[in-house]
Amino acid sequence: MSHTASKIHADKAAIFCKDEDRVNWHSKALWLLREKRDRAASSLPEWEQLRQLGSEIKLHTLTNLAKYLEMFEQNCQANGIQVHWAKDAAEHNEIVHGILSHHQVKKLVKSKSMLTEECHMNPYLEERGIEVIDTDLGERIIQLAGQPPSHIVVPAIHLKKEEVGELFHEKIGTEAGASDPTYLTRAARAHLREQFLSADAAMTGVNMAIAEKGAVVVCTNEGNADMGANLPKVQIHSMGMDKMVPNLDSAAVLLRMLARNATGQPVTTYSSFYRGPKAGGEMHVVIVDNGRSNMLKDKILAESLKCIRCGGCMNTCPVYRRSGGHSYNYTIPGPIGIAVGAQKDDTNSIAWACTLCGSCTQVCPTKVPLDKIIHHHRRLKAEAGNLPYGKRSYMPVVGKVMGSAPMLNTSMAMARTALRILPGSLLKPFAGAWGKYRELPVAPKSSFEAWYKKNRS
Amino acid sequence: MSSKSFILKALEQTAIAPQPMPEINVAPRVDDLIGQFETNLNTVAGVLHRAGSLDLVQEKVNTLVAEGKQVISLVDGINANRETPEDQHDLKDIDFAVIPGELAVAENGAIWVKQPEGHRVTPFICENLLLVVEADNVVANMHQAVKKLTLDSGKFGAFIAGPSKTADIEQALVVGAHGACSLNVYLV
Repeated sequence: MSHTASKIHADKAAIFCKDEDRVNWHSKALWLLREKRDRAASSLPEWEQLRQLGSEIKLHTLTNLAKYLEMFEQNCQANGIQVHWAKDAAEHNEIVHGILSHHQVKKLVKSKSMLTEECHMNPYLEERGIEVIDTDLGERIIQLAGQPPSHIVVPAIHLKKEEVGELFHEKIGTEAGASDPTYLTRAARAHLREQFLSADAAMTGVNMAIAEKGAVVVCTNEGNADMGANLPKVQIHSMGMDKMVPNLDSAAVLLRMLARNATGQPVTTYSSFYRGPKAGGEMHVVIVDNGRSNMLKDKILAESLKCIRCGGCMNTCPVYRRSGGHSYNYTIPGPIGIAVGAQKDDTNSIAWACTLCGSCTQVCPTKVPLDKIIHHHRRLKAEAGNLPYGKRSYMPVVGKVMGSAPMLNTSMAMARTALRILPGSLLKPFAGAWGKYRELPVAPKSSFEAWYKKNRS
Repeated sequence: MSSKSFILKALEQTAIAPQPMPEINVAPRVDDLIGQFETNLNTVAGVLHRAGSLDLVQEKVNTLVAEGKQVISLVDGINANRETPEDQHDLKDIDFAVIPGELAVAENGAIWVKQPEGHRVTPFICENLLLVVEADNVVANMHQAVKKLTLDSGKFGAFIAGPSKTADIEQALVVGAHGACSLNVYLV
């Protein structure tokens, strides 16, 4: 994707939008996932019951998180698992590096983990002489391309098969001009098998951590997490502390929704439960805070930690589908990316990368009130005096005008007259960015207030 | 202060009021469990054989061995031509692995495979997977499955639903990513 000096969402989205065909193709590819999700959800009569349960289980766990984290640690230790606690990204990376350097690890095979992306772990380890191989096909593609993921479930959704073919030709020696997904996948299988067989350690993210059992659950379709974790001596699982659930029954509820809501599959191909290291091996779990306990201090932001990272909100989001995952100034894009990333956004723009249409909230399997959280972020930004670009100067004026009936009526009357008598070319500049891809409206004859007085009062 | 204490202390300031754990009571659909399982297994690109007994599985293994395939069996009573090696890396040329499944889940076609004898990586590193499940062990949904499965301390287990697959290149479904390229399930 093109690079820009600006990190502002609208600027980066504008670059993505330059290629109209790609935008349409991107939007359709994600909508297809949304349609599959709808079919999967509606095929279960208990879908809404599961969503309610999912929401309540996660809320219960979050409100008792300290208790469950300690129970989890204790049970893990009883199962022979070593548990580490990291308050931030830097500490997470140090812990992982400590384990790897203790075992003189030269090559690490990694399964998809948005947390390690959040912690910028790959460059940290690479600078210290450790080769990190992303093994999820989508992740491997973007790693070879030198890009961050643009989606949390389908990280290379923004690339076309011809582009992948060209990249693979250059990096792993596939035939020039080849673009058949089966051929390219087979080539990646062979290439990555060598990596699995020669790695010294493996790392995965965690989909659920089960307090009562002292076990972690890892879900993939490709089997890369299991090929990784079960071959080398050392396995490391990196988990955000919000991944906790009390017991197996809770995990069952979430597992029924995760894949259905992500890609429309009834369940991921592999849902693996690790309750201890393999014979002669070591298993480590790193529990990471990195701002999560801070979010729990705000009762609206806290609900964003109910998220199980299915990516369903991205697939339905009209803004995400037309601006691409790289336009968000955060590792995680889309509605959930705004919910968990807006506080860290130094451009103060991503909270506005949303129409507040609420579709994300409707599809969320754990009922994260995403639109409410995003709206709340805007308020927090305004209160902190961090409104983006023009908004700081004109929003107070808009507020005054809209707060006064005579001022609003007068200005609307002026606008109706202007729209009728002045040419569009003269008025369009006043519409700013709004008018860029839209025609000006046809002015109604009178105000709604006048119409209402005449017809209804 | 250790990071653990730092985190636990920070959690004392959580703003949301304590919520009770909900009761999980979802009605299972129990009509034609095997039919439901077969439909969902097909959806995830697996194939069901209503074998009835181990004889059919042994017959299949014999055919594969005769074709020169490398076959390992972890199912009692099924004989193949490869033994479990000392080093798990030596499983890399296994063409077929025959492994017992403890439970099959009707609602999604998944089979619970508990830690196999030998090496954990066996069901994932083989090119093709044959799972053997007793017909009485088909349960309606995941809620029932987690109540029945065993996951002992220090062990591993996985729900396996079909062969490995990916759709990371332009959403085109390709069967056979890093794990097994095909899955055949034998109900006995």
